[in-house]
Amino acid sequence: MPSVTVSVKWQKELFPSVEIDTEQPPYVFKCQLFDLTGVPPDRQKIMVKGGLLKDDGDWSKLAVKEGQRLMMMGTAEEAPKAPEKSTLFVEDLPENEQGVIEQGFTAGLMNLGNTCYMNSTIQCLHSVPELRSALKSYSAGAGTDMDPSSHTLTLAARDLFGELDSSHRAVAPLRFWTLLRSKFPQFAQQANNGAYMQQDAEECWTQLVYTLSQRLRPSSGETREATLKNLFGVDISSRIKCAETEEETEEAETVYSLKCHISQDVNHLNEGLKQGLKSELEKTSPSLGRSAVHSKESVITRLPQYLTVQFVRFFWKRETKQKAKILRKVDYPLVLDVMGFCSEELKNELKAPRELLREQEDREAGLKGKRKIEDGPAPSSMDWSTTEQGSPTGIYDLVAVLTHKGRSADSGHYVAWVKQENGKWIEFDDDRPIPQREEDITKLSGGGDWHTAYICLYKSRVPKKE
Amino acid sequence: MAPDLKSDSSAPQPPAKPAKDAKKKKDEKEDLSEEDLALKQQLELYVERAQDSDPGVQRLALESMRQEIRSATSSMTSVPKPLKFLRPHYGTLKAFFQKMPESELKMYMADIISVLALTMSEEGERESLQYRLLGSKGDLGSWGHEYVRNLAGEIGLEFQKRRSEEEYISSLMDLVKQIVPFHLQHNAEPEAVDLLMEVETLDILPKFMEKANFKRTCSYLLSCASYVPELEDISVLDIAYQIYSKFEQHTDALRVALRLGNLQYARATFAACKDLSERKQLCYILARQSETVELDDEIPMEDEHRDVLQDIMNNTKLCEGYLTLARDLDVMEPKVPEDIYKAHLIDGRASAGASVDSARQNLAATFVNAFVNAGFGQDHLMTSPAESSGSTSTGNWLFKNKEHGKASATASLGLITLWDVDGGLPQIDKYLYSTDNHVVAGALLAVGIINCGIRNDCDPAYALLYDSVTKDDPAVRIGAIMGLGLAYAGTQKEEVLELLTPIISDSRVGIDVAGFAALSLGLVYVASCHEDAAQAILLAMMERDNDDPLARFLCLGLGLLYLGKQDAAEATFEVVKTVNEKISNYCQVTLESCTYAGTGNVLKVQKFLSQCSDHLDKGESHQGAAVLGIGLVAMAEELGSDMALRALEHLLQYGEPNIRRAVPLALGLLSISNPKVRLNVMDTLSRLSHDTDSEVAMAATISLGLIGAGTNNARIAGMLRSLSSYYYKDPSLLFCVRIAQGLVHMGKGLITLNPYHSDRFLLSTPAIAGIVAVLHACLDMKAIILGKYHYVLYYLVLAMQPRMLMTVDENLKPLPVPVRVGIAVDTVGQAGRPKSITGFQTHTTPVLLATGERAELATEKYTPLSSVLEGFVVLRENPDYVEDHLN
Repeated sequence: MPSVTVSVKWQKELFPSVEIDTEQPPYVFKCQLFDLTGVPPDRQKIMVKGGLLKDDGDWSKLAVKEGQRLMMMGTAEEAPKAPEKSTLFVEDLPENEQGVIEQGFTAGLMNLGNTCYMNSTIQCLHSVPELRSALKSYSAGAGTDMDPSSHTLTLAARDLFGELDSSHRAVAPLRFWTLLRSKFPQFAQQANNGAYMQQDAEECWTQLVYTLSQRLRPSSGETREATLKNLFGVDISSRIKCAETEEETEEAETVYSLKCHISQDVNHLNEGLKQGLKSELEKTSPSLGRSAVHSKESVITRLPQYLTVQFVRFFWKRETKQKAKILRKVDYPLVLDVMGFCSEELKNELKAPRELLREQEDREAGLKGKRKIEDGPAPSSMDWSTTEQGSPTGIYDLVAVLTHKGRSADSGHYVAWVKQENGKWIEFDDDRPIPQREEDITKLSGGGDWHTAYICLYKSRVPKKE
Repeated sequence: MAPDLKSDSSAPQPPAKPAKDAKKKKDEKEDLSEEDLALKQQLELYVERAQDSDPGVQRLALESMRQEIRSATSSMTSVPKPLKFLRPHYGTLKAFFQKMPESELKMYMADIISVLALTMSEEGERESLQYRLLGSKGDLGSWGHEYVRNLAGEIGLEFQKRRSEEEYISSLMDLVKQIVPFHLQHNAEPEAVDLLMEVETLDILPKFMEKANFKRTCSYLLSCASYVPELEDISVLDIAYQIYSKFEQHTDALRVALRLGNLQYARATFAACKDLSERKQLCYILARQSETVELDDEIPMEDEHRDVLQDIMNNTKLCEGYLTLARDLDVMEPKVPEDIYKAHLIDGRASAGASVDSARQNLAATFVNAFVNAGFGQDHLMTSPAESSGSTSTGNWLFKNKEHGKASATASLGLITLWDVDGGLPQIDKYLYSTDNHVVAGALLAVGIINCGIRNDCDPAYALLYDSVTKDDPAVRIGAIMGLGLAYAGTQKEEVLELLTPIISDSRVGIDVAGFAALSLGLVYVASCHEDAAQAILLAMMERDNDDPLARFLCLGLGLLYLGKQDAAEATFEVVKTVNEKISNYCQVTLESCTYAGTGNVLKVQKFLSQCSDHLDKGESHQGAAVLGIGLVAMAEELGSDMALRALEHLLQYGEPNIRRAVPLALGLLSISNPKVRLNVMDTLSRLSHDTDSEVAMAATISLGLIGAGTNNARIAGMLRSLSSYYYKDPSLLFCVRIAQGLVHMGKGLITLNPYHSDRFLLSTPAIAGIVAVLHACLDMKAIILGKYHYVLYYLVLAMQPRMLMTVDENLKPLPVPVRVGIAVDTVGQAGRPKSITGFQTHTTPVLLATGERAELATEKYTPLSSVLEGFVVLRENPDYVEDHLN
């Protein structure tokens, strides 16, 4: 039997003496190697001169020399198979879904000519998930009963919010704008050249929230409490005291925003709010039978899920006949505690949940070593104060800021700065969403010609359910 | 001293104001010290006597004058006193000389007049030389250095004159032969070399060489070589080679031989070297330059040794050495792309974690993972240990890439197991059986990548790839073709030629397959001037319509064949002018830039610059190639590249968009893997990476990666991080940023892309070929790198080399020794024994070397067998070493 002894190198191993029977086809040799390595013959690749060893090759032509080192390659492993469920790529998605997923935030709104006041308002309100879901469930047939213009505006808002959620490029709020103008003619004011004029965003905000609060009621119809009132409404009770007669009257009302008054000695939101809750007014005193100066002191009796704070930055300047702006720097915190403005009863109510919240946070800080701001699942139920969703604590996190840049309310530029659900801040400058850092958000407190906070939206922090 | 000097300088003033001058002279006379006055009178006496009729008196006078002159030693800044005092008599002596009869005395006189001419001769008269030739021969040096130096200068001028008038030069040569040894004895090697080069007789240099001076002479010769015109540089290097050979400096001789590209010389050196350890060192140098010397029976040695040497030359030790370095530096732990992106350092602006995979970002991650873990043999995406148990983790990542992305993902396995043929191939094997053609293509490419720069007797790459070259699927074909190009770059393997030529000339195959085939052929036959290969590519260019972005690879393949070969491509160049005009211009520029790559030819740089000054219609793309050409030609040496940088800055200001797009790439080429030296390059690129033209920005971003490649440079990493947040919305630019991040952290900072090595003396041709291929692909970023041919990025593997110094003992075992690593100082032509590094730190080998750094041994215990401490260096124990008992 003519044979040649060769050494075979396989991976990092070396089989020093393998005999080749040169009369047998190479397949036999491969079977020998199968014994040694466990690699099936059809997976073996043996390098010889001029290529790979073929199963039916002829040894004599290959001129294998005694003691030659051959190299074998091959493994018994299976070829990797594609997973059954193929990976979904962003690039495969329809174009309108790409944006949201890739960017992690929603689209911007196109400026239709001095509509930044409206755009920024919509972006701020759009950041409230509860409002979004409430709008979503608003149906076209929800009553055209008495106020068709409010109804259509609400429908337009619903559609616009939907578009914002799905689109990856800037949305043009044409229909909404037209309806807004027709519902509130003050926004349809035109300049000499026929273009619509810049408006006060706060006015837009107030009107919009008012309209929506009229339309959006829980579908169940059980409670007559307005949805928006739950979300944004602050109940306050005021004691009005006549300066001359010491007479006192009590009054309760629901407001949709707290005012932060800006005067010489206001440097911080807290001071402004305190001033806002105290005011003097002239009204007819029943006992005196004439108008007299009354002092009004208010306290909060119920807290909303979302607290709107408006900086009273504009005042009517008679000389220039415009709403001039107070540039004074008023700092506002990322976390706002309104306990101090609450009534005694409410304070008592708040105590337990606050305790609970602090405990939870301490525990988390202890476990994770860092303080994590809790933005737990958004409550879906509307009547939250009475339910298991968690009770108000009086502690609020900043979620959106509407800023103004310029010197009067009817000019300049409005921009919305909104915190996304993932904790990132986005500046919505009309059609351009720009990511921002959290520390830059607090720098919008005024004092110069930079963007100055006009309306702040705070979200209540609630203890998690145990 | 000061007043003395003053009087010196006032003396030769022309008599502009005679009255004042006379007065001054009077003053001067009074100023002279008694000593000087005596000397002056003495000399005047000698002059008088020298004109005496009595030869005895003459002789005595001349002799004394000579004594005075020779004994006068003075600083360079002032004229020696005897010369000064003899000055007024220069004319008298000259006149007398004419009258003297031919005699020994006349020669003496000539000598003295020659010396006096040093200070008196009119510019351009060369009287010093004239009288020297009339004077007594010999004993030049006794008149002092300044005299000899002056003489040498005059010889050079006289030589030029005589050459142009075709006069006799042998008398000059005699003088040269006296001056050269004088210079060499007095540590003035550069002057000696300069003189010989001036009179074009450098070939006599070797016989003047001695042990004491050959090193300095050679180092001067070698650094001259970059600055002399072509052809002359070859002869300069040739002389250096002869000198090194004469003194048995085999490693240096081999380096020069490799620089010359002369393999006969390399072989001769190898044969001349008898010492086994030194031969090992020679093999390491050959391996670094990916050249081989055939160890046949003509070089006698034992078989056992032959195997060892062959192993080293085949570069099979590279992987081992690299892993030793990695273990020593404790960087074996695999890194994932997130470790590189460092998103947590980007404050708040990072894109929100996407919930859905993006194919492009995953592809980027694939590349980053591959570059970062290159050569380590392990990573977390492709080769995690779970793989062996058949788990899905590996498969998962592979299939997180889309279509052609899977090819790059599979090929990345090759990069991760780079150089480890035995360990890597088994891991790739299974992918060859995949049913997905993209995966198969990637696996074939991976086979090529693993074998890049490694030779193996069994030729596994060829055996595995040749079959697939002719498959039907273009993707598989490209994979195999590219694999062959990478595995056999620079080997001139004939089988590859036979395999690829039919594909290139077949007009039925797609331009992409043909383009890659041409490029692979160019790589395999890089710098070989191979006729058949060139013919095949030219033919393809004529037959095709070449309107595709990939047609550029045809041109590039052709160019690579003549890489650095200067005018060897002339004939081909003429043919190129006749091909389809759509591609002719591009091809001409590419060919020209390749042929002069790394030559520093200023004329070519100027030609490219003038091409860039034209304002062309849209659609012309050759200007981009011209810009790259500037970089490619000028990268040869420091001065040229500095000038090129400035020229590129101009192009940036005034160039058309297609030129501006290429400028960042040329900048990247000029300082590849070298971020420190030219900081302004980094700043320019950083500025351009925010350019409004997104293609400029992309090119600048990639170039930022190139200049920082394998350095872990923190500043570039920071720039790229902020770019990644700046471009978070632009997937194409973000992709480029990711690639650049991968490049910067290439091999976790252990790998360089610099094609120059051995103290920037040798240029690795496959390396530069690979870089050029990628840069040309970057000229049309959208069609190639951002399109479906992103795997061209793997051509960079040709330039990837560990940037290490690994010391081994004579049995090739790693041997840790202390070394000093510092910034290299240019010591060529410096007096004394200057320090060759500055700002050094002492480390223990293996150590990393950055571009522009040099190492020297910090112990006397061993002597290195190579004069350049880079890569693998064999150490021999110093027999004279005495252990210092104090330590």
